[in-house]
Amino acid sequence: MARDLAIDLGTANTLVYMKGRGIVLNEPTVIALNRQTGEVLATGREAWQMIGRTPGYIVAVRPLRGGAITDFEITERMIRLLLQRVGVSRFTRPKVVICVPSAITEVERRAVTDAARRAGAADANLIEQPMAAAIGADLPIDEPVGNMVIDIGGGTSETAVISLGGIVALEAVRVGSFDIDSAIQSHIRREHGIAIGDQTAEKIKLAIGSADVTEDEVPAEVRGRDLTSGLPKTVELTPEEIRAAIEDPVSSIITSVTRCLSKAPPELSQDFLVRGMYLVGGGGLLRGLASRIERETQVPVRMSRVPLEAVVLGAGHVIEHYDDLKGMFMGARR
Amino acid sequence: MASWIIAAVIVGALVIAIGINLRRRRDTVASFQRQIDALSPEARRGVTKRIRELDPDDDAPDHPGGGVEEASEDDQHGS
Repeated sequence: MARDLAIDLGTANTLVYMKGRGIVLNEPTVIALNRQTGEVLATGREAWQMIGRTPGYIVAVRPLRGGAITDFEITERMIRLLLQRVGVSRFTRPKVVICVPSAITEVERRAVTDAARRAGAADANLIEQPMAAAIGADLPIDEPVGNMVIDIGGGTSETAVISLGGIVALEAVRVGSFDIDSAIQSHIRREHGIAIGDQTAEKIKLAIGSADVTEDEVPAEVRGRDLTSGLPKTVELTPEEIRAAIEDPVSSIITSVTRCLSKAPPELSQDFLVRGMYLVGGGGLLRGLASRIERETQVPVRMSRVPLEAVVLGAGHVIEHYDDLKGMFMGARR
Repeated sequence: MASWIIAAVIVGALVIAIGINLRRRRDTVASFQRQIDALSPEARRGVTKRIRELDPDDDAPDHPGGGVEEASEDDQHGS
């Protein structure tokens, strides 16, 4: 008998929750393929380590961009491998709940459910990421009070106001932590004339990236390839210049939070001042982002205790109470 | 005779339709209540337990904004 699954199919990471067991898989959403034969060579962490370091015949790709499937066939193969790794076989077909960005189109929605069904799921339903995040962050969304959740993922940032188990107001932008990494890469290429890879850009973000002035700011050295000579080169970067470089994606995220606040009904708005807004998702870990949102919106911002796992834990709760909560699936309410 | 049969059929169909409608309305109320119950703190105990497992050092319901600085530097940001 198959155990039902909840999947947080994120642009950056994929997490799988198994009914009755908890989180059983947490790996980067990356797949490595043999370019000539099309065979899958690695998935997850192993494939992630290959990004930017592969010989010509191997390609390591992220099949999702902005929370949407960019390559249907590769995504399907990746989901199939994921399901196999957690014990799903041809004879055990579980029910699957998949978390997706709320802004995905009907076509993208169908692409995800079809991919899951073809990969071996008996039934595949979708749930909006902010809703799952609110459940997973343990917010009292069963009460008639305003709960606000900001989910900043790899490819999308979503802000939702939730009350009585439903979304009251929602704002989503296809900007996430990968856009912050890209902004760092572009800045270093433009200002310092060196090329760096995706993983180096992410390391710079983690080391000195910030959305607001923070204490103990120190410069960092980065090594890359000189665009003129083609030789390895080291440059020093300051936190101020990285902050300026990532200003565009950061302000897009904050603007969407502000727009969501302005959409909220007044009765719920006053709850935010007391209860605050909850930040989840890996992008929310950017230094100074919580304080910057707090400063610009004048609403307290709290960090979820499990920012990276909140979405899959919420979807896991839905899979544990499948029959009672199936009204929360995308499409069920419309 | 035929008109009586037609009238009986119409009345029967109406009764069935009203019955189904009433039942559906009652079902909607019941299913909404079940949904709210499944989101209650009692039902969410499993989630709370799993959060404690993932973050055993902290018993507080949440971190204030300043908690961001204490976050672990995971290599894979974003989700």
